[in-house]
Amino acid sequence: MVSKTRLAALGIAALMAVAPLAGCGSSKEEAKQPEPAKTEEPAATNTDEGNKTGSDDGAKKLTGEFEIQYFVGGYGDKWWKKVIADFQAANPDLKIKESGGPKINDQMKPRWVGGNPPDFVYIDGPNLNDRQMVEDGQLEDLTDWLKDAKNIDGEKISDILAQPPQLFDGKVYDIPLVLNSWGVFWDKALFKEKGWEEPTDWQSFMAVSDKIKAAGVTPFIHTGKYPYYINGAILYPAIVSANNNDISILQDMAASKVEAFQSPAVMAALNKIVELRDKGFIDKASIQINHTDSQMLFLQHKDAFIPNGLWLPNEMAKDIPGGFAFGFIPSLTQDNGGKVVANTSTANVAIAKNAKNKDAAKAFLQFIFSKAQASQWAELSGAPSNIKGDISDSNAPSHVKDAAKYLTDPNTVVVPAITFNADVDKAMQDATDALTISKITPEQWVERVVEAAKKANK
Amino acid sequence: MRLGTTKWQRGLFIATFILPTFLFFCLFTIYPVVQAMYYSLFDWSGSSDNKTFIGFDNFKEMIHDPIIWNAMGNDYFLVVGKIIGIMILATFFAVALTRFRFKLSNFFRSIFFIPNVISVVVIGVLWNFIYNPQIGFLNAFLSLFTEEKVDITWLGFTSHTIWMLLPPAIWAGIGFYMILLIAAIQGIPESYYEASSLEGAGQWAQFRHITLPLIWEQMKVSILNIMMTTLNGSFVIVMIMTNGGPDNSTQVMGSYLYQMAFTQYHFGYGAAIGVLILIVSLITTVILQRLMRQETIEIS
Repeated sequence: MVSKTRLAALGIAALMAVAPLAGCGSSKEEAKQPEPAKTEEPAATNTDEGNKTGSDDGAKKLTGEFEIQYFVGGYGDKWWKKVIADFQAANPDLKIKESGGPKINDQMKPRWVGGNPPDFVYIDGPNLNDRQMVEDGQLEDLTDWLKDAKNIDGEKISDILAQPPQLFDGKVYDIPLVLNSWGVFWDKALFKEKGWEEPTDWQSFMAVSDKIKAAGVTPFIHTGKYPYYINGAILYPAIVSANNNDISILQDMAASKVEAFQSPAVMAALNKIVELRDKGFIDKASIQINHTDSQMLFLQHKDAFIPNGLWLPNEMAKDIPGGFAFGFIPSLTQDNGGKVVANTSTANVAIAKNAKNKDAAKAFLQFIFSKAQASQWAELSGAPSNIKGDISDSNAPSHVKDAAKYLTDPNTVVVPAITFNADVDKAMQDATDALTISKITPEQWVERVVEAAKKANK
Repeated sequence: MRLGTTKWQRGLFIATFILPTFLFFCLFTIYPVVQAMYYSLFDWSGSSDNKTFIGFDNFKEMIHDPIIWNAMGNDYFLVVGKIIGIMILATFFAVALTRFRFKLSNFFRSIFFIPNVISVVVIGVLWNFIYNPQIGFLNAFLSLFTEEKVDITWLGFTSHTIWMLLPPAIWAGIGFYMILLIAAIQGIPESYYEASSLEGAGQWAQFRHITLPLIWEQMKVSILNIMMTTLNGSFVIVMIMTNGGPDNSTQVMGSYLYQMAFTQYHFGYGAAIGVLILIVSLITTVILQRLMRQETIEIS
């Protein structure tokens, strides 16, 4: 930043500060203003030689300090503790610092802003968005490195990834560690008891919902407070199905390309939600409740279907009634005979652009993207890892194995996890909510989101 | 050296009280305010180490942002609703608990004060349960009087959902202002009431001509305080109860600030909203003070 603009800004700020203070009012409102971020100190860019390809399999001795930032949420921290201990044992001369916890994203933010980030980051949880980090220039470009990086067992990492990394302008900045999927859940036991058929596509979903409604149960509940659940599990798979199973439309939407939102596939998908709404299948409570409340109502059999992610059984473990048997399908919006669309969700790992120990960070990537660590992940976190492999004989829970079956089936369209622009994402969430309560039409949905996409492109 | 010592000592004595406070005030109030103003002039994501100076563009953008206007409308709706609701109820309870002496008045005083001791977060969660369309108290209660089960989504209307945030906000606020007014009423000499009742004044006349003028100063403070805490603090109850939804219909300036600065990565814009809140609160304070300027009647 040129110092002139900074001076100008300070000047204006000072003027603005003096004016209201002369009026002498209570001005404690700024107390909730965010962390006093120490900025402006020139980014302490580290001139590491950095350009090491994976050809040497960590043969070089790693030294110095190495800091790992990891968010602790639904997947817990058991795996992180284990893998870091293993990595430490393999590299005794490395001083590893763990910065982990449920609030770590907020705690570390001032350091990212100040140009002094940790070396390695696990991107998960609130207030950390990989697309934004890439736009902010916070992440190391891994494109060249990943081309021929091998893991500690000598396998090429890009070959064993179940889902490829998301591309930002054609470049790789982070690698998916988890392979999770959005989808729709129901209780197999309840369906069996009532004689309802488990749905496999849109037609059977509608047919069984009619029956369910006639039996006095509401067919479908979602969390209106967090509309990304219904977007992730219903709307996006529906868009892909309507787009002849071509997933590029979602990637174009993620890149905020306006034409993508105006595609007839989007309209067709929105009309599926309208159909759900107009047939009275959506629980009216949905709009105002959070995910936990919607999940509770689902577990209490007040509603038959719920869009959610594979973490649901883990998350609600304490409240699952006896005899409850989770049925799961990644998508229900495909026509009879169409392919199932699995919209995956993931959590990525990345290296900070301003990392001080990029060698160690890259070696750590080579360490964690191995088969041994992958099966440990599935076991300790209760979610499939993003490494190809058969988990049928691992200790993973049965619904995870079911999902893994879908994800590896050639008849499933697997959508690699995508991150939308935060503004466009919010616009889509608000619009979907508004659509489910008949506040807007599908045309207005498109109008709104196109507006947001145009603005994001500026 | 000895000359003027008492004066000097007096000055020193005063300074020991004022200076540290002033320093802390500057550090924790003035400095963040100036910082927020500074950031409001930038296009900054809040997580990047570079930011672009854009002058007043954030403020210009605000003019065209419909959510800001909606949020401001909601803020003022809550201000007006809370002032009316809290002042009427708090005054009523204060008068009832002091002027109409009855056995359980101390008990009720504590009961009414309880919501003030509870965190707003708990209040939000509590009222969320009351409003829950499926398992909530309100619908269950209403269902007692209807044939069909009532299933109103209290927090999910297409518009005007903000109305539903008013009852919890009022409920949570009454206790404090009630205590404030009770203290004021208790400061009024009993003889005034005795004299007036000898003259034949009823309860209403006593309230209108003795109580009200003599507690006006406290009511003024209460109204200003409700206004300021609402403009700055509605954030919590909105975040807990509706998250600004559905479709931004319950967004207030504070919650929109949070939304913009931390979940949509427009920190500069968020800071600009903060500055807007500051300006708007100051203007409202000045206007309200003008409006309520009335000769203060003191007990002599």
